[in-house]
Amino acid sequence: MTTKSITSNVYDWVDERLGLSELAAFARHKTVPSHAQSFWYYWGGISLFLFLVQCFTGVLLLVYYRPGAEAYESVRQITFVMNFGWLIRSAHSWSANLMMFAVLVHMFSVYFMKAYRKPREFGWLSGMALLGLASVFGFSGYLLPMDELSYFATKVGLQIPVAIPWIGPAIATMLRGGPEVTEFTVQRFFALHVVVLPALFLPLLGFHLWLVQKHGNALPPSEEAKPESQRKSIPFMPSFLRKDLAMWIISLNVLALLASVFPWALGKQYDSLAPAPAGIHPEWYFMSPFEMLKLLGMIKWLQGESGEIAGILLFTLGIVLWILIPFYDKNKESGRRARVAHYFGLVAIFALLATTVVGYWTIR
Amino acid sequence: MNYPFWDIPYLGSGWVIGIIAIFHVMISQFAVGGGLYLPLAERKALREGRTDWLQELVGYSKFFLVLTGVFGTVSGVGIWFAIGLTHPEATSTLIHNFVFGWAIEWVFFMVELSTAAVYYYTWNRVDSKLHLAVGWVYAGASVCTLIIINGILTFMLTPGNTWLSVAGTGNEASKFWNAFFNPTYWPSLLLRTCVCCSLAGIWALISASRIDGATLPGLKSSLVKWSVKWLVPSFVAMPFLFVWYLFMVPESQRALLTLGVDTIGSGTFSMVTRIALIIVITSATIIGVAYYLAYRNPVDFNTAHAVAILLLALMATGAGEYSREMLRKPFVIGRWMYSNGVRVPYAKKIDNDPQGYLAHSNWVWNGADTSYSRGEAIFRGECGSCHTLNGYRPLASLLAGRDHANIESFITMLHEYKPDSPYHRFMPPMVGSKSDVADLANYLNAKVNPSTANGSKAIQTAQR
Repeated sequence: MTTKSITSNVYDWVDERLGLSELAAFARHKTVPSHAQSFWYYWGGISLFLFLVQCFTGVLLLVYYRPGAEAYESVRQITFVMNFGWLIRSAHSWSANLMMFAVLVHMFSVYFMKAYRKPREFGWLSGMALLGLASVFGFSGYLLPMDELSYFATKVGLQIPVAIPWIGPAIATMLRGGPEVTEFTVQRFFALHVVVLPALFLPLLGFHLWLVQKHGNALPPSEEAKPESQRKSIPFMPSFLRKDLAMWIISLNVLALLASVFPWALGKQYDSLAPAPAGIHPEWYFMSPFEMLKLLGMIKWLQGESGEIAGILLFTLGIVLWILIPFYDKNKESGRRARVAHYFGLVAIFALLATTVVGYWTIR
Repeated sequence: MNYPFWDIPYLGSGWVIGIIAIFHVMISQFAVGGGLYLPLAERKALREGRTDWLQELVGYSKFFLVLTGVFGTVSGVGIWFAIGLTHPEATSTLIHNFVFGWAIEWVFFMVELSTAAVYYYTWNRVDSKLHLAVGWVYAGASVCTLIIINGILTFMLTPGNTWLSVAGTGNEASKFWNAFFNPTYWPSLLLRTCVCCSLAGIWALISASRIDGATLPGLKSSLVKWSVKWLVPSFVAMPFLFVWYLFMVPESQRALLTLGVDTIGSGTFSMVTRIALIIVITSATIIGVAYYLAYRNPVDFNTAHAVAILLLALMATGAGEYSREMLRKPFVIGRWMYSNGVRVPYAKKIDNDPQGYLAHSNWVWNGADTSYSRGEAIFRGECGSCHTLNGYRPLASLLAGRDHANIESFITMLHEYKPDSPYHRFMPPMVGSKSDVADLANYLNAKVNPSTANGSKAIQTAQR
């Protein structure tokens, strides 16, 4: 038997049982719209790629990381003793940050393309849930090295849930494993980071991707306005896939460049008795909510404890409105509502950027 | 030492050369590779009767003429100015050895520039055989410029034992050929030739990507595919050439590459390993993109793809040149001159001279003869080639957290330069007398700990 016939026999055997050729035929017929805004289609894929990088590097870090009292020492070994340990750790941290960036770009491009409209509401909702989980991933992962910065940033960050009325302090205590951030906290965050969150994230991601597959890429309103005959599309296999992979390679190169030229540093080991170092601030993707809460607290009639609660409520209201946008701006006949949603999006971008800038500006 | 020191705050003098050189290398190596590409493409087009190719080549040769003739030459002369100002000591050594090499190279430059212009302006005006011949003259001249400059560049990394045996005697030029064909000459020449061919292919891809694939699919796919083939030799041969090259570099310097495998601890020094990793990933990406996006799908290959390849090539070239420079540490001319311009055999001589380092620096202004100003002059002369105070490799933050005594003991360690010192591999010794060490420590302490009251007092009172 020639190699070719062996391959085709194996293929037939598998095909008969798994139905590969149906899948291949399906992939051949799948098309992706091609237009001036096609560029934004790639950001979901880029986010996915960066997530995969984190799974891979995360598992490698897991091999040497030891939570609890030895947390700092194990990260020190990874960074300064293991061969290329620093590279894996840098790639993990950088891809996390790049993924948050890609996810935000993806979210806003979906928003402005109005890709949340019928029948894609679940895509939007699952995406928002994924973003929420991703930020908890970021928050919990940040503490794991237990250096000075991560210790104090976590300490400050856990003040936010405390402000939630009634249940807030209890949530914070549960996350910390006591009244203070200690090695018990890192143990809990570790469990959250490597077991609980992936267990929630992966099925949700599968659902999100299945929906993308089911409904296909959404057309932006400018394309939808065109008659069917004037719309262009390209086959998913191989044209779009090839471009998608090219984007992945570009992301990989950017990641490699950042991870090797600007390796993730490791600060001094935390010391709970030492004063907090100057310039403690949340990670950039938490800067905006952190600063918004701070600014809301400055408004005169929002001061004091009830003001803090009002601030959180107002902030929550904004997020809820954002999440519920598909049920307000429902379809292409939305008209005035579509315009309102559009302006709401612009305000959101402006608020995010402005509060982030103000936040960095006012770091002490 | 023998020349004034050019102080460039924040950026540091190294990057003045670095920025110009990376830009220049990108263009000059294209000038060599493109010089081979044009006549070979023209010959193929003439043999196969492809008039559409010839029309494309006219446009390409115009682009070639402008890029190499304007930006290549300007940046090349820029390197001359830059190295003369930032590292006069090393430049002087090079000129004393290679003045004839450079003179010959200028002849080839002249031939190169004139034939590039003639080649472009005589398209369809002279007999095609004669036109092709002009192309070949250009190719020959440009290859010769590489052959010559490669000898000088590799000399700086590995001058070779024969030349080192006469170094400092005044008869250095008698070993011109040994210095020229030094240990890394051949691997480096072949490496650079490969890079030149790749760059020719990559720039040609930019030009070919602009052809409209919908109306001229035949022309576009044939040119794109042929241009991709120019990348093949590099990617087959480069790994082997690279190993050969490293094998010819002295063991102690090669060890610099392994510094960053297990740590980011020593900051800038593990940088060379990290930068070297970039060469691997960018080169691998170039192969992938060139094969899948260009060779397999030439008609869809667009300018954005081509520019992406070019940027990757720029990164790979930049990373390669940076690593080569770092590999030379702690020398600017291997085993002969330290990166701060002190000749290796003179280090001990200066150490033993009670008058200290500044007595050997002809251009130091001694208007205010305080410990502080002497320290400043020593800082500029001995540290300034690699460090700045607050910018690139900033001493203010590298020494942060150390008090006066601690800074002084650190400099003393660099002064003693024991073989087991961790800095032995990548930093030159701090040369000078005991009081030079104290002066430099005073100056740096005043910069690192400006608020300590006794720091500023000490710099005013300490006298030689």
